[in-house]
Amino acid sequence: MTAQTSRAVQRGILGALLLIGLWEGIARGLSLPAYILPAMSDVLLGVWSKRTMLGEAAAYTLAEALLGYVLGALAGIGLAVALTLLPQIRGFVVTAVTAVNSVPVVAYSPLILLWCGIGLASKVVMVALAVSFTLFLSTLAGLDRVDRRSIDLMRSFGAGRLALLWRLRLPTALPLILAGLRVSTVRSIIVAIVTEMLGAYGGLGWVIYQAVLQIDFVQVWSAIVVASAASLLFFGLVGLAERRLLFWKAS
Amino acid sequence: MLKRRHLLAALAAVMLAGPAAAAEPVKASLRLKWLPQAQFAGFYVAAQKGYYQAEGIDLTINPGGPNLLAENLVATGADTFGLSGGSDSLLAARDKGLPVVCIGVSHQVTPFVFVTRKDGPVKTLHDFKGRTVTTWFTGANHVLNAILAKEGIKPDEVKIQPQQVSVTPFVDGAVDVATATYYNELYAIQSRMGKDQLRTFVAEDYGVTFPRDTLIVSQTTLKEKPDLVKGFLRASIRGWRDAFADPKGAVDTVMAIAPTLDRAHQEFMLAEVKRLMTAGPAKEKGLFAIDPAALAKVHDLLLQAKVIGKPVDLTSAFDSRPLDALSSADRQL
Amino acid sequence: MSLVAAAAPAGPRAAGFARRIGVRLATLLAVAFAWEGLVLLLGIRPFYLPRLSAVLAAILATPGAYASGFLRTLTETLIGFVAGGAFGVAVAVAFLRLRTLREMVFPLFVVSQTIPVIAFGALVVLWFGNTLMAKAVIAFYLTFFPVTVNALIGLEAVDPRQIALMRSFGASPRQILLRLQLPSALPQTFVALRLAASLSLVGAIVGEWFGDTTGLGVLLLQAMYTENVVAIWAALLVSAFLGTGFYAAVAFVERRLVFWGAEQ
Repeated sequence: MTAQTSRAVQRGILGALLLIGLWEGIARGLSLPAYILPAMSDVLLGVWSKRTMLGEAAAYTLAEALLGYVLGALAGIGLAVALTLLPQIRGFVVTAVTAVNSVPVVAYSPLILLWCGIGLASKVVMVALAVSFTLFLSTLAGLDRVDRRSIDLMRSFGAGRLALLWRLRLPTALPLILAGLRVSTVRSIIVAIVTEMLGAYGGLGWVIYQAVLQIDFVQVWSAIVVASAASLLFFGLVGLAERRLLFWKAS
Repeated sequence: MLKRRHLLAALAAVMLAGPAAAAEPVKASLRLKWLPQAQFAGFYVAAQKGYYQAEGIDLTINPGGPNLLAENLVATGADTFGLSGGSDSLLAARDKGLPVVCIGVSHQVTPFVFVTRKDGPVKTLHDFKGRTVTTWFTGANHVLNAILAKEGIKPDEVKIQPQQVSVTPFVDGAVDVATATYYNELYAIQSRMGKDQLRTFVAEDYGVTFPRDTLIVSQTTLKEKPDLVKGFLRASIRGWRDAFADPKGAVDTVMAIAPTLDRAHQEFMLAEVKRLMTAGPAKEKGLFAIDPAALAKVHDLLLQAKVIGKPVDLTSAFDSRPLDALSSADRQL
Repeated sequence: MSLVAAAAPAGPRAAGFARRIGVRLATLLAVAFAWEGLVLLLGIRPFYLPRLSAVLAAILATPGAYASGFLRTLTETLIGFVAGGAFGVAVAVAFLRLRTLREMVFPLFVVSQTIPVIAFGALVVLWFGNTLMAKAVIAFYLTFFPVTVNALIGLEAVDPRQIALMRSFGASPRQILLRLQLPSALPQTFVALRLAASLSLVGAIVGEWFGDTTGLGVLLLQAMYTENVVAIWAALLVSAFLGTGFYAAVAFVERRLVFWGAEQ
């Protein structure tokens, strides 16, 4: 297990190094101007020289993303679970939620910015919207995945809805819920950044927006490198938690 | 009718520009700073009436968008011409080494004002102290800092915040002073609060002018295709002349491309844009005139604000030779 | 309900379908009335929420603009979705077969998904021009990753004993893939495809923010910056129509293809 993991990490690092090498080679080899593609070394230097500013911006964005992520995940999972307990309103709620969420989240940004202002609240709401839908879908699919024979079996032993949910449905749904949680990590940070670009007081999206306007391409790329690193960290942590949980379940 | 007009246009092209224009039209594109609206009416009118065709140019007009910078697209060759942010964004681009040159300035005076409610606490610029002022951190903030400095007010005495897309915080009273372009936000604010409810602070009253909406081209195009540049300017000026002469028709042209726009707003916009484009040096020298004195002031302001890291050579950043090469009849309104 | 549907597919199934449609229409009507009524009753200012009738009137005033925007965005979305779905599944299969490739490339894919494309408007225009393809590429970019993740989970969840069984009957890897692994991965994959349906629409809309004249994204942006709230809602409604329709189409195909497992 550990040997395999470390091999995977090594290969991942190798892949990243190959890409960075290719990037540096293209940018330097073709001596591309910074407004087309700045060299990776310049970008990394840019990250280092602006580390305080970028760190603060990343913390701001991460706070928005995390808050929205938790709220959205709770709402999405909660709603899906509630629907399993109340199948009567399922048709109504699924229709309404699907309609609301079939509109791309970015399309709501004008309204959300109008309603919640350009501060923290609008980003949290946007992230929560994006995350809740993913988790609602994943959870619902996971809860439905249960083998009907097992349900019939448990029912014949007199198990109620709650027992069915806790003993059968939730454990079966867990892998899909966790996959949804993992995919949403990256989405949450992107949505926060995109919303920041449309209006904000700070954060990585704001830094990128400012840098684009000031034609500072190294800074644009630096901010994106930091954003990627933050997303990866988030993704990795949730992935780790996922493996722990699934492992626990399997044993 | 249409055919005859084309024929006339072709004839005129042959007579005016000589044999060059009779050849296959040159493909070129113009990148606007934003989506189609009356702010760009003249270019659309010129395209619709075949004025670019008459100059031997097959012009595509590409709209802009958020995070899309005309300087960048012109420098990379993705677009031939650009109507970019303004003197500020052009100087920043030159400072960063982008090979773009300004060949004309559209808005001769600062296109935005600082607005407050008339019955509110802000009567003079000194009342900005301690108040919440929102502005765009895309150039307008430097104008705000400059006029505050002229009155001896330090920027940290004022609560300056980034302005959001909506004017609602200002209309609701959450913000004391907001920034508004004459043709867009001011319209929205006026139609929601009433024109006589507002007090405006104009940068020119404090000796600051910030020319915006610059026509740009790459150094290569300017050097290698001077006739293309001249033809583009001539046709564009013709289009604007027609747009000002027949604003209703010009708004029709724009709204044929973007039908969901609000007609009343677009007509208001065109009237305001006309005022901005025909003010100052444009009065004598015609549309798109480049005013070196005003630009030198902007340059010093941006240098002081550290938007540009080092002095930029203004004579190579702003080149009025293509414009000067046009006959005065071609330039006058 | 579910038992009946499973036992006698034809008749009650159609009745169930009709009932579902009925519930949906009733929901929509209820929301529409609630919207109009609440705005009137509570006197909500139109800058926050305009009346539904005003929004519909705005759409009917320039139906051509909304129709052409709808078609343009739909085309971009469809191309991006189909390409992203196909690529996503293909990559999942490749990852399943080639562990080394997976370990090297998967992290890079994750990284690629952390990059907000909106920051690279100029690069997108430079590389793909002002074409419909540029938008479809962004839709594709947002779509393929969730499909890969879910398809891979589905593929890996196949019982190894079943694979061993098929192999013992002399099935080729190709046969195992087509007959066993891909069908078993379908339910998982479709969960991602439903998500991808809305993501590809996001991609198309954001793609239209890079300087375009037609499309729902253009209409949204135009409305947002002229602060025309009625027009924002009009564009939102048309996007909702497109999104719901597309989502429903994907869900319909899912019901047709994935008829096992689900207990609904």
